[in-house]
Amino acid sequence: MNDRVERLDVPILMDEAWHYASGEAMERFSTGLAARRIEALRCDGCGRRYLPPRPMCGNCRLRMTHWVAVDDTGTLEAWTVVHQPILDGRTGEERPSPYGMGLIRLDGADTTVNHFVQTGGPRRQGVTPPGPPLFIGQRVRAVWREELRGAMDDILHFEVVEP
Amino acid sequence: MRSVAVVGTGQTKHARRRDDVSQAELVREAADAALADADMCAEDIEAVLIGNMELFEGRGLPELWVGGGAYGTGKPVMKVATGGTSGTSTAIAAFHQVGSGLFDRVLAVGFEKHSEGHTQTGMALTDPFWDRAVASGALGNFALSVSQYVAAGHATEDQAALVAVKARRNAARNPHAHLQMPDLTVDEVLASKMLAHPLRMLDMCPQSDGAAAIIVASDAVAREHNPRPAWVKATATRHDQCYIGDLDRRLLSMRTLRDASAHAYTQAGITDPVRDLDVAEIYEPCTYAELAWYEALGFCEAGEAGRLVEKGVTSMTGALPVNPSGGVLSTNPVGASGVIRVAEAACQIHGRAGQRQVERADLALATGYGVYAWADVVVLGSEP
Amino acid sequence: MSTPDLAPLGVAGVGRSGPRISDPRSIPEIVLEAVESALADATCGYDDVDAVVTASVDLFDGLTASNIAVTEVVGAVMRPETRIAGDGLLAAIHAACQLWAGAYETVLVVAHSKPSMAPADLTPWAMDPIHLQPLGASFTACAGLQARVLTLDDPDAEGRWAERAARLSTLAGRPTSPAEVSASSVVASPLRERMRAPLADGAYAAVLSRGEASVLLRGAGHDLCAHSPGDRDLRHWDGLTRAAGRAYAVAGIDDPADAFGCVEPACLYPHEEDLFTAATGTGPDTPVSPTGGLFGGAVPVGAGLSRLVEATRALRAEPSLRRVLAHGTWGPAGQGQALTILEAA
Repeated sequence: MNDRVERLDVPILMDEAWHYASGEAMERFSTGLAARRIEALRCDGCGRRYLPPRPMCGNCRLRMTHWVAVDDTGTLEAWTVVHQPILDGRTGEERPSPYGMGLIRLDGADTTVNHFVQTGGPRRQGVTPPGPPLFIGQRVRAVWREELRGAMDDILHFEVVEP
Repeated sequence: MRSVAVVGTGQTKHARRRDDVSQAELVREAADAALADADMCAEDIEAVLIGNMELFEGRGLPELWVGGGAYGTGKPVMKVATGGTSGTSTAIAAFHQVGSGLFDRVLAVGFEKHSEGHTQTGMALTDPFWDRAVASGALGNFALSVSQYVAAGHATEDQAALVAVKARRNAARNPHAHLQMPDLTVDEVLASKMLAHPLRMLDMCPQSDGAAAIIVASDAVAREHNPRPAWVKATATRHDQCYIGDLDRRLLSMRTLRDASAHAYTQAGITDPVRDLDVAEIYEPCTYAELAWYEALGFCEAGEAGRLVEKGVTSMTGALPVNPSGGVLSTNPVGASGVIRVAEAACQIHGRAGQRQVERADLALATGYGVYAWADVVVLGSEP
Repeated sequence: MSTPDLAPLGVAGVGRSGPRISDPRSIPEIVLEAVESALADATCGYDDVDAVVTASVDLFDGLTASNIAVTEVVGAVMRPETRIAGDGLLAAIHAACQLWAGAYETVLVVAHSKPSMAPADLTPWAMDPIHLQPLGASFTACAGLQARVLTLDDPDAEGRWAERAARLSTLAGRPTSPAEVSASSVVASPLRERMRAPLADGAYAAVLSRGEASVLLRGAGHDLCAHSPGDRDLRHWDGLTRAAGRAYAVAGIDDPADAFGCVEPACLYPHEEDLFTAATGTGPDTPVSPTGGLFGGAVPVGAGLSRLVEATRALRAEPSLRRVLAHGTWGPAGQGQALTILEAA
């Protein structure tokens, strides 16, 4: 490489905003969230209760129309504590770390929800500090935002239910 | 399908940042190397396939700009993109296009120039209603799945660290590899920074700038251009449902890779993969994934993968060397990573793998992994 | 390269959803409707499909690996799915290759996009970011450049294009006069707003197979030109000439002027029809876009496949058309070109 050659760098800022349609199933689900209600779609073929609800069960290749109620309590099926700063896909801002994450099988659903899991003391500025170790099979419950907006982050995080 | 073979392979030097070249020049570097390897000139190429995940560079339809770099100008060009399997899907698409009879010589090239974009932003563009608020990239997703794999007793962190050591030591013999660490030890892996429990820095693949190309040819052309063409014995692709929560115990079940490899083994007449295969280049985005893939690929029984790596079965001198190149753990330009797997497998059959050459490579496996569990499987052999 | 001898493939079924200017539904909902209509048209179900080739562009969908949104609704769970990140006609051509290779018996092809999602023109992000994007180049600007070049030797061109745009809009169900076209605002001089086929949301699907069908796919070809308009002779669509040559060789067509009952070009602007006709060598008497072409709604990514769907319907309704050419183009000033040749069985 020749040190005397100055390399050209062309900076371009990408600042695009798309408008996404929720679809009928997600619209009903989101409306439910605003009333602290969680609903899943059940496949009439295999009986699997899907979160997020979507038009079709990909395994059976059947349209789904059968809604079932789901609780805001569930079981931790997988967990991690993320130490690396990660971008929030909505804001483009880095999320403060560390924070707990889990796959939660809500009572009444068959798929799992990926969401923040509180692993220790009180949540500050979206940060969940590491705390007592999490384990698969642990019971958890949703902690809801006070003012509900009909979006997935109406659930702030899941907290461990003491046995 | 008529007989089809890989007759030439080419790769760039892969690195964290290749700011000495543009994206088109990066692709050109790999294409030129593949053409030279196949003893062909650009005019011989009849069609081009390009693999790339363009949002990582903040682009759309990048083949419009980069296609010329792949000698695509004035030729039929298509771009393939399927997440992590982009590269293997691009290679399989090339096999099908030559297999069709429409073309006799096709160049397939995959590339990624992560340093020119913002990969995390690209990774963050998931379902805006469901998990964009909480998604934590490939790292978070893998950590979740790995927690289940570890809890089920299928691997220890020491066994995972052995995979990291094997990969980076192998990479030291691969002149193209990004991370080359000939003296890496298990202790160093275990001392590396915790990224997302239980995944440490050295458990994860890097982000690399790089490109890789293969030249795919029909029967007669293949024999003319390579004394030992790498014949396509089998291919299989399986996609899956699209949310991480849809896939129960992903690493433990991995139904896509299980089904795809079973299908490919049948096509290729493989009954015992560790005995029948001479080398494997598998797409392992993290150490634990390599162990999980051993199980899904039938290299061992469920829960035995850790012992396989402990016994050195998959080391360079073992019964089935896995990733002599250093794998994705050492080099990961996403759109190229799958092409690299196929190129490395082909290169082994050609007998041109230099210091990373395994002994007597007559049957080689290459796999791709993408999104939450998409799988591609390719088997190449020294006989058509 | 020898002329390949490839068996005709069947177009067993076609379907669509839209085009609609602003579809309130989600992409999976739009795609599901197109897929179900194609499967119904082919009188088959998901289980009869061996593989799927989808077409989508992440940048347009605002989603990384954008086919993840449709994998379930196209029936690709635990199936081979290939995603072409480009025009849907390329997806159809790749599916044809899979069938010719004997890899599968039946392949479903699906293409979608939803331009109403993006508030702005995203095509600058598909231009060379070093030399062209910083200058403000976009597909629209390049179309204007190309049209301008054509007017240099043809002073009557603008009037003729206004008439053509009015005719196509009217055929597509939007009665328009040439005067209205000429009076509409300038988009990229000399191109005006009403000269452009309206962008629309939608999805298209086709079931291709190695079996019998009333419409056959006989040939296919595609091509990519140099990227920069400055590297090309903008008076011609050379890429389409090459693509047509490849497709004609496969289909055994010697005289394109007399070969087609009608042609279905994917022209976004009326000047592109001049370029199309010259490049393909189709005769002046060959009917062009009898139902208005893309002026009924131009779905990016879906456009080329929409022409295959339209050509199939035309051949079924009127087998005496014998043979129809379906075309797709994308990129700046026709950089990418593809065509397929369909015949009544």
